[in-house]
Amino acid sequence: MFLSVGVRVEANVEALNMVETAGNYGKHRRVPYLIEEDGKLKTVYVPALSGESLAHAYQEHLVKEALGLDLPVCDDCKRNEFYKSMNKVHLKKKVDPIPDDPKKIEEAIVRACVVEDVGGFLYAEKPPVRRSSAFQVSYALPVKSVALFATSEPQLHARHAQMDASSKKGNASEQMIYYVETGTALYGFTFNLDLDAIGVSAITSEPILDKSEIKGRREASLKALFRMLSSGQFGAKLSRFFPVGGITELVVAVTEHPFVVTSPIYDDYIERTERRLKVLESLGEDYLLVVADSGKVPEEALKEAMDYLGEKGAF
Amino acid sequence: MVPLTLFLKVHIRPSGIVALRSLPQSKMRTALRYVPPTTLIGAIAYPLFHVVGNRAETAYERKTFRSKAESIIELFEWVTVKTQGKPKLYGSLLKINTVYRGKAQSAVTSFPFAVLYGEGDYSMTAVYLISEETLSKSTYNLRDVERAAWGMTRLGSRESVVSVEEVTSGKTKVRDANEATTAYAFPFKGFDVSGRGTLQSIVDWRSGIGDYSKAKRVVMFYPERTVTVRGELSVAEVNGEVIVLAP
Repeated sequence: MFLSVGVRVEANVEALNMVETAGNYGKHRRVPYLIEEDGKLKTVYVPALSGESLAHAYQEHLVKEALGLDLPVCDDCKRNEFYKSMNKVHLKKKVDPIPDDPKKIEEAIVRACVVEDVGGFLYAEKPPVRRSSAFQVSYALPVKSVALFATSEPQLHARHAQMDASSKKGNASEQMIYYVETGTALYGFTFNLDLDAIGVSAITSEPILDKSEIKGRREASLKALFRMLSSGQFGAKLSRFFPVGGITELVVAVTEHPFVVTSPIYDDYIERTERRLKVLESLGEDYLLVVADSGKVPEEALKEAMDYLGEKGAF
Repeated sequence: MVPLTLFLKVHIRPSGIVALRSLPQSKMRTALRYVPPTTLIGAIAYPLFHVVGNRAETAYERKTFRSKAESIIELFEWVTVKTQGKPKLYGSLLKINTVYRGKAQSAVTSFPFAVLYGEGDYSMTAVYLISEETLSKSTYNLRDVERAAWGMTRLGSRESVVSVEEVTSGKTKVRDANEATTAYAFPFKGFDVSGRGTLQSIVDWRSGIGDYSKAKRVVMFYPERTVTVRGELSVAEVNGEVIVLAP
């Protein structure tokens, strides 16, 4: 089974994804939005969140959910340091001595850690072993129709330190001003989860784990997504810049094989997703489509999708 | 009697960015502006394997290893793409500070990508010409390949999520011509081209896509809108649009 979620989230005055510091100025991640003016292309930079940022948050939630279900998580991932068995140093913590056979390496990693099973890894030694992530996240970008209303605005802050003559060093100031660039936008992003990839070898295509553990891991993966979206716990600087807003719309599609909802950055994404799923139905494939807009809250839509997957025996 | 060739025409909507690394690369990473055929084959390989219950990604033979996507390249006689809207290459500078084993480290890097995001309609249309003979001998049928086309999830990296908005299939005839007007990418070799576009050196998928370390390269011309191509051409018409194949 394959799950695809399109999310629209309103985030005012947020600092969810920062890049580059220039002195005391912390910049928000931005992407160019191209507009045509007088026959010429013009670039406007709008705030954005990278897929990596959202993926990191999802994996943090996955750690918690997996541990809550008594599933294995390696020490690196428990600390939310997602090195993912990238070299011998990290792999040795899971299997020592390291086998020569890539199948055995993959098996050891998958057995030892839910996060590397679901989130993939790249062991960059000899022999190299790779496993693609079972989940995919797009960038979160301002919805196209209102992208020009998105802003990146620096907010001035001041740090204070009380200093007397004995503690003053050089010409250090008692006040230090700094800026945090905050973004305000209605963001849209897509999240996909391939449940059939969990617990199955990316080399032999055979299950590495028994059915019950695979189902447990699928449940953890779904709960992690539910928790991440419901709690709004993704991105940086949540302690002082928790975004004002929340999920405004959400669409969930569950299909037998891969299918991606139309990106929520387009205004017609719900209608187009529905029409595209009808085509899959004509090809003989079952599907579920749930929309959370004015009549349903996101949690209800996500629960409906989880119930459907439960009925289908996915977990 | 000229045999007919199956085709699939796949209309793709990006979710804003397409991150494709140009290979080989050094610390100074560069991104591809346009989607190469190798990526299009990889994009359809994953859902195609999924349809038949195959989860394998990497094939190991003694000390060599290759992408499993290579196992389906024989299915395709030609693969190309049309891009609506000119992608812009962009990458924020990233300052990375880490503490690793007690040592503070700092580095500046960038992960550039192609941005297909703006007021206009940014989309891509991929065309796959399928060898009916190879397909009939394979474990797949046309319905599988069509369903796989609907299931393309990303182009390259896992952040480059796309949705397939329309899939049409049919049959076409590959024929010779002296002139053609096309919006689809074609190999830039011995042709006279009128119109604007971008040249991009990419891996020639026909020499294999499992390992790029010694792969042959080919220069492709990616038109902006349409261009007129003159020379000894091999062309095919797919739903009213012309594609130019390798000479």
